[in-house]
This record gives sequence, structure tokens and C-alpha cells, in this order.
Amino acid sequence: MAKIIVITSGKGGVGKTTTSAAFASGLALRGYRTVVIDFDVGLRNLDLIMGCERRVVYDLINVIQGEAKLQQALIKDKRCENLYVLPTSQTRDKDALTTAGVTAVMDELRKEFDYIVCDSPAGIESGALMALYHADEAIVVTNPEVSSVRDSDRILGILAARSRRAEQGEEPVKEHLLLTRYSPKRVEDGEMLSLEDVKELLRTPLLGVIPESEVILQASNQGIPAIHMENSDVAEAYKDVVARFLGEERPLRFIQPVKVGFFKRLFGG
Amino acid sequence: MANPRSPGTESSAPLRVSGGVFTLSILHLESNNPQQLAQRIAEEHQRHPAAADFHRHAPVVLDLSAIPEEAPLALSAILEVLRAANWFPVGLRNAAPGHQALAQDLHLPILRGQDRNAAPQPETPPPTQPVPASPGGLIIDHPIRGGQRSYARGGDLVCLAAVNAGAEIMADGNIHVYGPLRGRALAGVNGQDTARIFCVSLEAELVSVAGLYRTLEPGYPLWGKAAQIYSRDEQLHITALNL
Ligand SMILES: Nc1ncnc2c1ncn2[C@@H]1O[C@H](COP(=O)(O)OP(=O)(O)OP(=O)(O)O)[C@@H](O)[C@H]1O
Ligand SMILES: [Mg+2]
Repeated sequence: MAKIIVITSGKGGVGKTTTSAAFASGLALRGYRTVVIDFDVGLRNLDLIMGCERRVVYDLINVIQGEAKLQQALIKDKRCENLYVLPTSQTRDKDALTTAGVTAVMDELRKEFDYIVCDSPAGIESGALMALYHADEAIVVTNPEVSSVRDSDRILGILAARSRRAEQGEEPVKEHLLLTRYSPKRVEDGEMLSLEDVKELLRTPLLGVIPESEVILQASNQGIPAIHMENSDVAEAYKDVVARFLGEERPLRFIQPVKVGFFKRLFGG
Repeated sequence: MANPRSPGTESSAPLRVSGGVFTLSILHLESNNPQQLAQRIAEEHQRHPAAADFHRHAPVVLDLSAIPEEAPLALSAILEVLRAANWFPVGLRNAAPGHQALAQDLHLPILRGQDRNAAPQPETPPPTQPVPASPGGLIIDHPIRGGQRSYARGGDLVCLAAVNAGAEIMADGNIHVYGPLRGRALAGVNGQDTARIFCVSLEAELVSVAGLYRTLEPGYPLWGKAAQIYSRDEQLHITALNL
């Protein structure tokens, strides 16, 4: 039976789409049939990050409105055998997402895939609610700052109250905390909340920590999910996240400031 | 079957009618003017936005002691005002005989205090009865998140996890919080001033007992400490709990 995972946050720009692309790719690399869906109607970022924007013909909204079949809208990823992208529309209105339409799409996808990853828009309005409604598990993406933590807390409350599982009195949505854009140096300097602070405030099981890295920018400019950026901290961190999600034990990495060597300090990096 | 009955139901079985005791709010009507009432409620809710929430969908009994017998009473207009403010009027008390007849026309029950004195009584708020902990009590074993609200109507609220910033917990009785209390906690919201708040780590945005409230900031002497909050002589007291 397919599992539906929503990548959500409340606050915007914290790394949901980056995480959706990397995480879905990671599941596919592990051999799971995976689809990643863009719920951010009107913005359409996921296909850019996945590097498939030029192959978008039909999208989620077309499927919901009966203008295309699901098979026509699914785009096969060029790097991973088992991965498909379901893009969203840049031209349609958010209201084009209907509860019944999304439910029908989910029911169809459940038959074909092992994992359905939903990239949520920011906020707590209908688009975000649609994205989380069907979730079995949620990855709450949080940056180490107070406003992001507050919004994550809010979205955790909404998951507990307004998801399908909550409404139907089933077992609650399984929650995971993912701390992204973590800069151990800035934490040490007291400019950011520490991992401990965030854990203490949110009290949600930690799935991983993704360091702040310029590799993310390079990856997104080239349309390559960050998990494919060989030998980078972020790729390693995202691989750990996927492993932990699949139940493997992995120690936390990249949470200590990098010690700058004496010569590097002397002559500059 | 045209008229299905649940199994075991005999048509001759008597209707089940049993007794019950309920705690209700009583609104003391100050005048017979519906507009004035609307304005008073609006002012009150503006001054204490939390009050608007306590009263939302709360059943309320109208006390008419202050309304002279001969005063005309636009009862249905008054009920409209209350419903518009999200209250549920469920009965009248201390109504003059003429006013009682109005209530009967509107199918509104007359509750205790029907034998009203000829002269309007001085304001005597009924003694608040202790609220039994169990019937309306609420035990919550997961964190209460920002934007969430929990209300133990008619009882105590016990939270075994954190109450996070932006969350609101309310109880007609006492509140106990065994995780950090970071949101807003309001005990005795129905006016029970013997209610208390107990917490193991006081980091609240606001605490209130029976309408008395105060906001707190980091740096407060008992911040992060175990504390209890209670009201005495119309003053809110916060003291350390030495556990
Ligand atoms: N670990 C990271 N290190 C550095 N930059 C990052 C990291 N993660 C994300 N970013 C950058 O942050 C910005 C926002 O990322 P992204 O689009 O994934 O966020 P989002 O939560 O999906 O945003 P939105 O709410 O707008 O959908 C992008 O410019 C991205 O490159
Ligand atoms: Mg996004």
C-alpha cells in the first residue's frame, strides 16, 4: 500500500521544494516507485528543481479537471528509473484544486506507487491543507529561527486536527522534523537557534539536519536534485534522511562547526 | 420495514428521562434595551477578546431581577442580540409575571428564582459551586500547538505535554500542565475564582483566573520554574511550587 508523505512548513522559503526533490529522488534511488507532486499552484517550482520544466505538457490541474489522463501528466525523471514528477500549473488559480479531484488523483496514484511525496505551498490556506490532507506521514521543514519554528508548530497542530486521518479518527499522521539551512557556525555565534532549542520547542522526532550550503544554489540552477550532488554535505545529509525514514540508524552529521585549519585561516579560504 | 426500530426496543418501553445537574452562565440583564445590551457585549469582548471565546456557544440564563415589572420587554430582540454574539440563551430567571408569559410564548423555560420580590433585588451573584473534576475534565497527552485551543468545559484540564507559544488552554476548573507552559492558560473561565493553574515550568504568554489576568515575559522571577497561579481578594497571585 502506497504511503503519502507531505513536505510542509507553514513558513515560506525554508526548503520544502528542495527537500521534496531530494527526498523523492532518494527514495527512488533505493528502488521504491515514487512520485513527487507539486501542490504549489501558480508558482511551479518543483519541475525547475527537478530539471524537467521543458517536458511539462499536462499538469495536476489538467488531470483534476478531466482535461488529461494521469499517465499523460506524469513525467519520468531523467536520473532515477523509479521516479515520476506530477507538475502543477503556473497559469491556473489555486481554487482549481478541489478536494474531490485531489482525492481521485491520490487514489489512482496509490495503486501504482510505493511513495507519494507532496510538496506543499507555504501558508496554512487551502493549498497547504490540500497537500497535507491525505498524508500518512509529514516531514515538517524548519529553519533554525523563531518564526519558522512557530509556523512549524502551527502546521503540526493543523496536521493533528485537519488531516484525513484526524477527521476519520485513524491513527495520527506520523510527524518528522527536518531542520534545514543549519549553520553550526552561526549557532555557535548565537545568531541562530540550536538543534537542541528547536527540538525542545517542537518536541517532534528529528529526521535529520541539512546544513546551509551554496551547493543547493548550484543544484537548483542546474535542475539537479541536491541528493545527486556528489561528495557534498547536503547530498550526504539528504541520503541520511532517506535512510532514517526507511528505519535505518544513522548518526547525525554536519552539526558541528567546521574547524578552519591554521593555514587556511592565515591565507584565507 | 417501513419504520425500523433498533433491536430490543419495545414500543411499550417507557421513555428514558433522567435527572442531571448543569453549570450554566447567568447574565444579569441591566436594562430592557436590546441595543444597549449589544453595545455592552461588544465593549466587553473588545476589552477581553478571550471573553468572546469563553462565551462562544455557551448556554446562558438571563436574570431579570433588575428589570422592573412594568417595563416593556422586547424579549425576542434581546435573544437575537445574544445569539448574534454567539451565546445560547436557554432560560430566564427572576422574571416578573408579565415577562414570564413572554418567555412562554417563545418556548423559553423559566428557571429557579421564579418567586421574585416585588422590588428589584440587589445584585447577588449566586455562589459558584465547586466544579466537579471528572465530568467535564479533560486530560491531554500530546503537545498543544500554536493556534490550537483546548477547553475543559465544566471541569479541570490536565496537560501531560507542552503547551506551546500561541496555544490556548482554558478550563472552568483548574489547569495542570506537566510540560512547559508557553502559551496562554485561563482557569475558572466561568467565573470560579477558586480555580488555580499549576505548572512545572512557567513560560506562559498569559495566565488568567476567573477573568483576572496578567502577561509574562522572560526575566520574570519565576520564569521556567514550577508555579501556581490563583486569585485572592481580586488579585492574581503567582507563587513558586516547591516540589
Ligand atoms: N540547505 C540549504 N542551503 C542553502 N540554501 C538553501 C538550502 N535549502 C534551501 N535553500 C534555498 O532557499 C530558498 C528556498 O528553498 P525552497 O524553494 O526549497 O523553499 P520552499 O520552502 O519550497 O519555498 P516556498 O515556500 O516558496 O515554496 C532557495 O533559494 C533555495 O536554494
Ligand atoms: Mg516550494
